[in-house]
Amino acid sequence: MAPVVHLCSVSKSFRGGPSVLDGLELNVNRGEVFGLIGRNGSGKTTALRILMGLLRADHGTARVLGRDMWEADRRHRQRVAYVSQSQQLPDWLPIHELARSSSLLYDSWDQPFLTEILRRWNLRADQPISRLSGGNQRLAAIALALATRPEVLVLDEPAAGLDPIARRDLNQCLIEVLGEGTGCTIVLSTHLLADLERLATRVGIIEEGRLVAEGAVEEWQRTMRRIQIVFSQEHPPRDFSIPGAIRSRTLGPVVSALARIEDESQLDAIRAMDGARIYVFPLTLEELFVDWFQGSTTLGNLGPDPDRHHG
Amino acid sequence: MTPRLHLQLDERSGVPVYRQMMDQIKYYVAGGTLRPGDQIPSIRELAAALTVNPTTVVKAYTELEREGVIEKRHGKGAFISAASVQLTQVEQETAIRRSAKQLAVEATQLQVPSPKVIHVVSEELDALDPAREGAETPVKFAASTARAAQ
Repeated sequence: MAPVVHLCSVSKSFRGGPSVLDGLELNVNRGEVFGLIGRNGSGKTTALRILMGLLRADHGTARVLGRDMWEADRRHRQRVAYVSQSQQLPDWLPIHELARSSSLLYDSWDQPFLTEILRRWNLRADQPISRLSGGNQRLAAIALALATRPEVLVLDEPAAGLDPIARRDLNQCLIEVLGEGTGCTIVLSTHLLADLERLATRVGIIEEGRLVAEGAVEEWQRTMRRIQIVFSQEHPPRDFSIPGAIRSRTLGPVVSALARIEDESQLDAIRAMDGARIYVFPLTLEELFVDWFQGSTTLGNLGPDPDRHHG
Repeated sequence: MTPRLHLQLDERSGVPVYRQMMDQIKYYVAGGTLRPGDQIPSIRELAAALTVNPTTVVKAYTELEREGVIEKRHGKGAFISAASVQLTQVEQETAIRRSAKQLAVEATQLQVPSPKVIHVVSEELDALDPAREGAETPVKFAASTARAAQ
């Protein structure tokens, strides 16, 4: 089955500036929840905007449900919902007015669902959007997007600015939508990695406009480890390396690494070394993210297509 | 009646979430909290209660069913299967062995002699339930030896 979301060799730069996206590859299948993570300025928002047809790629193809959204007609567009990072609702209107006009545009509009979400999230439908707090404006935009009953939901930093309760309510609502078994596909960018740990089926790390790593969350939980090896001598032996290491750095007699450990026996040779003590720690997604970006030497990568990476 | 299930997910454990759910349900069965015929929460209920993606619960339940711990009854939900009890001894050993392996690795790294490791384990077991069958008289370590293990 063709992926629901498909970005192939997508490149983009603005006004002749440096590349924001540089050959981005991304595929998301039906029913998946894909979390796009990366540092600020790594190209997440640009990628999502190209996906939605709000920006045109310089090179490459971007498809949602098999069509380029730049060219897609209304019927196709209404199968996909997008909530941008910045507030883009006409904020002089109250939610119920927006809902009324949206309901005319969307065949699949679900008013009872919207009413239920607004009730649960304590959102007033009769006040102009501008009177809502920043967090509630964001929730209002998400509620309206959910009410379109999209097949694909694209969320750019949905939880930014939400308090912990609102975040939990949002996650609960997404889980409920996923639990309906309609096969809704969600692509979201976020810095709240603990949420992804529970919600996402797959995660991709974007760095300088390329997807440098992607994997199933449960695979990362099972295999990604922080490893520390302390040697009794002053330095590790010449040519010492940790099998499966993605990043590694050496400080005196201590070698630290982020490594993919498929099988503990991978480390048996190190355990057998004289004068080496090895410590293996599982990591949260957030710790993995920090280890990934924190100035250690890159040894390899987990990208979908290692040949693509250069420099 | 379905006993209330408290599942505790630990994102730092290095164990995939579906696996943690499976292990804990199995522990409930092994410990007798869940008995054959008991109904377990629906996929949607458990996903909502734990705030996890429903596909994760589906995966845990599918694996538990494959292992014979639970059975799905059409239109009624999922139940602890009658066969689950017979499985527990093997299950228990597998589960315990995993932790034991980790303990063995750490003990080796810290150079704690085997008899001491075994004493520590029996002490801990005893602390949980002094009336445990087959429990030995706990042997207290001198504080200095315990410290040396650090």
